[in-house]
Amino acid sequence: MRLAPPSSNSRWRDVGVTAGAFGLGLLFLALFLLVAGFDVPLALGALWRGAFGSWYALTSATLVRATPLILLGLAFTLGSRGGALNIGMEGQFALGAMAAAWMGTHTGALPGVVALPMVLGAGMAAGALWMAVPVLLRLRFGVTEVISTLLLNFVAEAAVSYAVTGPLQEPSGIYPQSASLTMAARLPKLLPMSRLHLGLLIAFAVAVVMAVVLKRSRWGFELRAVGAGPRVAEVSGRIRAGRLLAVALLISGALAGLGGAVEVSGVSYALYLNLSPGFGFTAIAVALLGRLRPGGVVVAGLLFGALEAGAGGMQRDAAIPAVAVQVVQAVVILTMVVAANSGQRTANGND
Amino acid sequence: MRGTLLAIALLFSACGSETSAPPAAFRVALVTPGSIADAAWNAGAYSGLQQVRDSLGATVSHIEARTPADQEEALRSYAAEGYTIVFGHGYEFQQPAERAAAEFPKTIFVITSGQEVVGNVVPLIFRIHEATYLAGMVAGALTKTGKIGFVGGMELPPIVLGYEGWLQGARATRPDIESRVTYLGNFDDAAAGKEAALAMIRLGVDQLHHNADAAAIGLFGAAKEQANVYVYGANADQSALAPGHVVGSAVLELPRALLLIAREVQENRFTPRVESFGLESGVIAFVANPELQNRWPTGLAERVQAARDSIITGTLIVAGTKTP
Repeated sequence: MRLAPPSSNSRWRDVGVTAGAFGLGLLFLALFLLVAGFDVPLALGALWRGAFGSWYALTSATLVRATPLILLGLAFTLGSRGGALNIGMEGQFALGAMAAAWMGTHTGALPGVVALPMVLGAGMAAGALWMAVPVLLRLRFGVTEVISTLLLNFVAEAAVSYAVTGPLQEPSGIYPQSASLTMAARLPKLLPMSRLHLGLLIAFAVAVVMAVVLKRSRWGFELRAVGAGPRVAEVSGRIRAGRLLAVALLISGALAGLGGAVEVSGVSYALYLNLSPGFGFTAIAVALLGRLRPGGVVVAGLLFGALEAGAGGMQRDAAIPAVAVQVVQAVVILTMVVAANSGQRTANGND
Repeated sequence: MRGTLLAIALLFSACGSETSAPPAAFRVALVTPGSIADAAWNAGAYSGLQQVRDSLGATVSHIEARTPADQEEALRSYAAEGYTIVFGHGYEFQQPAERAAAEFPKTIFVITSGQEVVGNVVPLIFRIHEATYLAGMVAGALTKTGKIGFVGGMELPPIVLGYEGWLQGARATRPDIESRVTYLGNFDDAAAGKEAALAMIRLGVDQLHHNADAAAIGLFGAAKEQANVYVYGANADQSALAPGHVVGSAVLELPRALLLIAREVQENRFTPRVESFGLESGVIAFVANPELQNRWPTGLAERVQAARDSIITGTLIVAGTKTP
């Protein structure tokens, strides 16, 4: 599978594909609810209220859920623009969370301006280190990163499981979780009485930087050239495709690790076994829906955050069972991926 | 394309116009950490919620939330909507509830298997190990191989305590008992539950107990395929899950516990406290499967009954090594 990068002059077409895919997903959702015998207007009303219905729902549910999806979606985007698929974001997220939890419980009396960069930096370093293995395997032995990053997810899960019952376990040694982060190591709240934290702005900032780098810098141009066709890029100029891709993948791992660190430092305040409800995989759909453009990923991340928050609303207010909600989410994701990819096909001619 | 967008726009505008103000009433919510189709821990709480609705006329709502972030969000969302009681179903809700509770002083957060009273966060403690002790006694008496096994979901204190009660009970009837224990790391993976059970059976285990909710369905499946392997249910009477193979169950009558608290709150006589349920309360019990009771050696039923009485009077104390 190769993901064609978007061509530069099809911005409005991309917007159309994204909106169409999301809309199609919602239509499928309504159809599914109808067939399953639920009260469709009640359910969709609950979906809307759960995502946007109140200031609380918007800030504390939708935006909080969107934050890790945006960061991980950007991580996937960077690799994909260079032609590499990072399927290991779930693992890099877990490792980033683990490193952040360790750092955040060891910063002592350091003030936030020092402690926070250390916590987030630890998460990024851990994500990049975890990615170094697949990068080496690809450069040295030609092992495709799709397989190696995917398999490392399971190793990461086991590592977290070991950490929370071993070296990182909270002091009383009873619960399978780490100690809580020091107050200084927690991301500040953006609004009082809400769960919205600084992580959202960090995600936005990363998106802006990535957009500029991809579009305006020489490195970004070369990466896109490699993504378009590594052979062509190497033959045509002085681009060292392998090295370029390695750096892109390491940054991708670092961003996924940052996602984990932000979740620990902004939401959970401790490392737990099941910190991620599958962010690393949902984020792939987010990146595809965002057409592998940083700005698009931000929008898609917000839409998915709203969808997940709304799914909670459907359970609460319309008594749609969790299983049905999960089926609906899967249908929406599938619809979006198919629609986004077929849109890409037409945009790029006979691919 | 334009047609699709138009349809979506209509869809949203239709939803937006709907009013969302529910009547101010006695509202009770339940947040479970797993599926309510587990025939055990979560199913019991959900049936409790339905009884709260039917007996007390409460407006009820339920949501499943699996990750720490989702769990805190679920607690807060209900509180923000003005629910009177929010049940967080499991020890893992204690900390998220403590974080949320200060901002929502009008809501009472009841944490099943919780730890302590913190403001408007109150725990319900279930001494399930008193019942698993009795189950263990039966297993120790019935085992032919002298080997018993326990499959836990996660290595959480209430789960570990249940295992320790089971082991102590088995030692009471068979001092040289050999015990195996494994924790799956989740409460959902029925395939892993079956795999763990089969591995134990291969090692000679013939009496199996669990506390793994939906994952334990696999354990019952494994027992059904083997002759002379017996299972002890957890958190509900699970005799029907493997007919002819379930000797008894360590039962947790969650509806009774939930109703008790909800009724007090409704009648305005609730005071925050640690409410602890053991064998004396009737909320915790060991329920034997009458179909298999003919296999019990003579005198066992009397011994189990005597142990139950001693636990209730306090002369026999079932205690874990890792008590929170």
